[in-house]
Amino acid sequence: MTADMTHDVVVVGAGVAGSLIARRLTTEGLRVLVLEAGPATPSTFEGYLQHVQTFYAASGKGAESAWPPAIGAPQPDARDLRSDNGYFVQRGPLKYGSTYTRAQGGSTLHWLGVSLRMLPEDFELRSRYGRGRDWPLRYQALEPWYRQAEREIGVAADVADQTHHGIEFADGYDYPMRRIPPSYSDIVLAAAVDGMSVRLGEDEIRLKVRSYPAARNSIPRDGYRPVGAVDIRPDGLGRDLYLGERCAGNTSCTPICPIQAKYNAGKSLARANPAYLTVLARAVASKLHVDPVSGEVRGVEYQRYEDTSSPRHTVHTAHGRIYVLAAHAVENAKLMLASGLGGASGMLGRNLMDHPSIYGWGLAKAPLGPYRGPLSTSGIDDMRGGAFRARHAAFRVDIGNDGWRPTTGAPDTTVVDAVQTRGLYGADLRRYLESTLARQVRFSLNAEQLPSAANRVTIDPRYLDAMGNPRPVISYDIDDYTLAGMAEATRVYREVFSRAGIEDHTDPEHSTWFPEVPYAGGTMRYHGMGHFAGTHGMGNDPESSVVDVDQRSWEHRNLFLVGAGSFPTMGTSNPTLTMAALALRTADRLIAEMGRSSHRQQPYRREQGRSRDLSSGGYTEDRPPEGLGDRL
Amino acid sequence: MTTRLERFLAFSADATAFTRFELQGTGQAREYLDTVVRIAGDTIVDRLLDLHLHAKAVAAASGNSAIMEHLLRRDVLSDPRLGPVARNIVKMWFVGIWYELPREWTEAFGAREGDVTFVVSGTAYAEGLLWRAIGANPPGAKAPGYGSWALPPHIPALAAH
Ligand SMILES: Cc1cc2nc3c(=O)[nH]c(=O)nc-3n(C[C@H](O)[C@H](O)[C@H](O)COP(=O)(O)OP(=O)(O)OC[C@H]3O[C@@H](n4cnc5c(N)ncnc54)[C@H](O)[C@@H]3O)c2cc1C
Ligand code: SF4
Repeated sequence: MTADMTHDVVVVGAGVAGSLIARRLTTEGLRVLVLEAGPATPSTFEGYLQHVQTFYAASGKGAESAWPPAIGAPQPDARDLRSDNGYFVQRGPLKYGSTYTRAQGGSTLHWLGVSLRMLPEDFELRSRYGRGRDWPLRYQALEPWYRQAEREIGVAADVADQTHHGIEFADGYDYPMRRIPPSYSDIVLAAAVDGMSVRLGEDEIRLKVRSYPAARNSIPRDGYRPVGAVDIRPDGLGRDLYLGERCAGNTSCTPICPIQAKYNAGKSLARANPAYLTVLARAVASKLHVDPVSGEVRGVEYQRYEDTSSPRHTVHTAHGRIYVLAAHAVENAKLMLASGLGGASGMLGRNLMDHPSIYGWGLAKAPLGPYRGPLSTSGIDDMRGGAFRARHAAFRVDIGNDGWRPTTGAPDTTVVDAVQTRGLYGADLRRYLESTLARQVRFSLNAEQLPSAANRVTIDPRYLDAMGNPRPVISYDIDDYTLAGMAEATRVYREVFSRAGIEDHTDPEHSTWFPEVPYAGGTMRYHGMGHFAGTHGMGNDPESSVVDVDQRSWEHRNLFLVGAGSFPTMGTSNPTLTMAALALRTADRLIAEMGRSSHRQQPYRREQGRSRDLSSGGYTEDRPPEGLGDRL
Repeated sequence: MTTRLERFLAFSADATAFTRFELQGTGQAREYLDTVVRIAGDTIVDRLLDLHLHAKAVAAASGNSAIMEHLLRRDVLSDPRLGPVARNIVKMWFVGIWYELPREWTEAFGAREGDVTFVVSGTAYAEGLLWRAIGANPPGAKAPGYGSWALPPHIPALAAH
């Protein structure tokens, strides 16, 4: 049925970028079909709880442990990195260490929720420091959509903490919720670290432990109503569960927040106007059909499967006036390439970036109480900008609240080691656990990576998944600019540890395995941050970019590619807030354009119950629209 | 003298330094006992629990509690057959995971059905004593409430034995 319907907009991917666009467009009365490759289980509360159980029962509790993929929509998994037999075909020279989730809700199901704005200087890296590229828009031009994105995804922070490196906020603005309380360990570290300075070349930089913005529910400001757990019923309507309106400290934000106090894209989809929205899960977009003369997209072919454990499927085509690819930076590029739309500029799939990151870990003198609260609540942002960026990469320091878990598999491994190797039991065992685990500190040092044409996603007919779709073939390297930044980050964390009296226990030889990269006669071990960006970069010039400033394809004018794939550079901020701001901006462009060029279509179905006041625009409301009420 | 479950709790209390009441309060004792019996078998489990009771009795009679530690280490923990099983019980209580027995054990005493590393159950994971021992909560369960992480950790004092 849906295959023959004509929609205003066909969105591929129910992740954060796709869901934000779907919500905004349907709120304006545009008919949107969302094709989602993965299963829809996370969108009902029952289904979501199954994922919580999956997580409880998993003996390894990595980022993917709550989200086993369907056969038809495979995904990368960090556990496959070492053996190299995962979904990605890694061409090297280095391994690309990041992952994403293919289920309705996308990678925000397992993200951490750090929602920093980019710095104004990040948009002008080329003109300020002669590195990378400039963006086709400046910070000030994006600022209004940053504010909207912070409201849409529900960001908790205080403006007073966030005005550094020239970040400006509109007059009188503050985040929709107050900042998440910093952890005890943040407070103790801040007392030791605040005010100390480090040198980066000519620059003397003063450090401050700063609480960071998080898409996690906290105490609301000014009538904002935090959006909690999602429960979408078969008729497309949501029900309010009064759960997760405040973070309760479950300490499992990655891989799964059990109460959904942390934002996931399902929340945006649940707040779309159901009368204008059709979501088709278990529908893998496999090919775009393009008019050979105009270059316009004429349809999206997709494979529909019923059984998540079988590759059996049927093939359909969806039609719309506008097409939006929001399938994630890698999958967007893959879908274009699989459709033979590599493009004249040859830029598609290139300039893949991440934030290669290294860990530093140690023991504090007194218990700092790790393994409590959101997995991280503060960081050190002072090395995100400055003149040194002409020479080496900027970086940020994340302060972990989960001890050495990512680096040694603690605390489980600590127990095993204490019992097995040290022969401890009873009171000795408990004293040992107290004296080690409770003192653990861990930093994650995340470096900026610049666009490089050689870092890319391609496809190869030899490497296909079970449904015959290409697997991403990835070439990846880390250049000297970034490596030098990582080396500086290492030096800085050691100075900070020493200042705070933290005994350094960083020992990659005896830790969880991480990919290595040679540098300056030694090796560094890095891990990915999940921050894929740059495969369809935006610019002012069709020769050197894939999309324009509105994320519209230069070559296919009714096609938009959205997400961090559009980033020309990525600075040091986690990408999702910026991607959300860009997505909302694109949605506004579409509304302006489509509103003018067409008459309103009929909704897919009658709005049920009391009709929602669409003219007010659901996205500016403080409360979820009526559709989320207890109407069932 | 007592049921196997009670003897299991007595051993577990000494092995974890949590009181019987705390252990019972987790609701996990029966599941752990069943798990170890299912995998290691009755004979080994009974032998282990008997030796523990014996050590306790000897120590009580002599009035010297250090004797118990000595006997437990000599007769149970250092015993190639009982030691790994005893350690698995401790690990199960702290982490909620049954860890596959060491290879030397299987080579000497035979492979057991079901002896693979696994999370005993969702509740076992959430009831892991490890978290209480360090004043934390198991990730994804027993959330301590908004803002609790801003306070110093509350690490429970060790019960006097
Ligand atoms: C462990 C981890 C922690 C992270 N923490 C943070 C953080 O703290 N802050 C931050 O900013 N970012 C973080 N990220 C990154 C963040 O998750 C991503 O940037 C973001 O979710 C990407 O959004 P997206 O909408 O582009 O893609 P996704 O969220 O991946 O959504 C894409 C959607 O498209 C669907 N799809 C894919 N292929 C197809 C197809 N062929 N047909 C139909 N549908 C398809 C997918 O199933 C998915 O639902 C983290 C990532 C990881 C791995
Ligand atoms: S700390 Fe817990 S409640 Fe808070 S966001 Fe993370 S998982 Fe959710």
